[in-house]
Amino acid sequence: MNITPILRTGLYLANRPVVRQYAFKSDLKIKWVRPEKIPSIHPEKSGDCSKLSAVNPKELMLGFEKSKELETADAAVKSLFELGNNPYVNTTRYHSEQLIKEVQRHPLDYGSMEAKLARMTVFIRRYQQHMEEHPRDKKRKVILKEMIEKRKKFLKYLRRWDYRRFEWILEKLDLVYKPPPAEFHWITRKESLQKLTDIHCEKLRQEKLDEYRKTLEEQQIPFLEDAIKKMQFIRQEQIDLGIPVTVTEEDIEQNKKKLAELKAFREETKAAARKSN
Amino acid sequence: MSARNLLLMGQCMPCVKANASKIRIRRMELDKNLNMYFKKDEFLFAHDPQKVCKTGDVVLIRELPERLTRLITHKVEKVVYPLGDITDPITGKSVVVGKYRDQIEEANRMFGKSEKAFDYSKAPPRGRLEGTKDFTHGETYIKYHDDGKDQPFAV
Repeated sequence: MNITPILRTGLYLANRPVVRQYAFKSDLKIKWVRPEKIPSIHPEKSGDCSKLSAVNPKELMLGFEKSKELETADAAVKSLFELGNNPYVNTTRYHSEQLIKEVQRHPLDYGSMEAKLARMTVFIRRYQQHMEEHPRDKKRKVILKEMIEKRKKFLKYLRRWDYRRFEWILEKLDLVYKPPPAEFHWITRKESLQKLTDIHCEKLRQEKLDEYRKTLEEQQIPFLEDAIKKMQFIRQEQIDLGIPVTVTEEDIEQNKKKLAELKAFREETKAAARKSN
Repeated sequence: MSARNLLLMGQCMPCVKANASKIRIRRMELDKNLNMYFKKDEFLFAHDPQKVCKTGDVVLIRELPERLTRLITHKVEKVVYPLGDITDPITGKSVVVGKYRDQIEEANRMFGKSEKAFDYSKAPPRGRLEGTKDFTHGETYIKYHDDGKDQPFAV
């Protein structure tokens, strides 16, 4: 049996510098901060930019505001129909009516996409308020999450059907719409560090490229000036010696024009940089 | 590859490149094993310096005689269907889902159109909320690092 190959690989392995393929640790000083988890029912995740406004507790309940009997009724009787003296569900209904009126197509419209979205938005904001007061209410939390997802689905549909109406409703209801990411993955330390390292490397590369560009640009003007001088000299020599002239006046003019343009461009960029500072 | 002068229809996808659009060409591919067709996506980059197509638009792209860069092989010919602004090709009227827009407007008028309601004639063109309320022009990602700066596309 020939053992030379085995010996050779053994020798190679012994002399090779230690490169660990597994458990590789980068010595770059990149600090990774795990983003804090934001619950899906929070306004910053659901996309609600504003809260439900406070209501005047003296306001009458929905359906009683036009009552003629209440206008002439006793103050004590009237107070029985005020929002402040009734269950909170009446205030929510009042809010809902107010917001739907802002967006509905006609006074009888409660079924269009805009009206539906407005009703859901009030529901979501009311439940978010409730969850702040009662963080352990799991049943309502689930209902709220489902409603947020449903509203997001409806916004997705509206965007596809009628883009300008979608934008209008985002503004009216004060919502932010972000499409879902392409694929779900858990946030891990390893993957995040890989991404951060990629960004770091890209930045380094760009810095070096910028630096190189700067050095080349600095050489441009002196080079052109030198070229013009040399061309003029060569032309003069050729004329003096009476040999065929290879450098024309036009070439020199062209280079002079190029130089002037370059100088003007540099001045412009400098002025722009000074202004932005 | 080059000078075939091939026209393709695809959908515009969010893209970070400055003067190009990413177009998805979706074809059906036969799986001989199952004898069934499955969707197969091909992504092409089309030269589009004016950014005429926005995310979601259905566009026609034409192959360039020679590739512009390593990625850009096509140019945008025409936007056929802008997203959310569909015109019925037979009647030439604007459509929302299953109804013509003028039918919807007519119904609203009969019921007494609300003053605050959305009006097509007053609505500005698409794209004014990009980056403030509407983040569909870029790709979103799951937030993986908290650097204290604002990350608008992080979910």
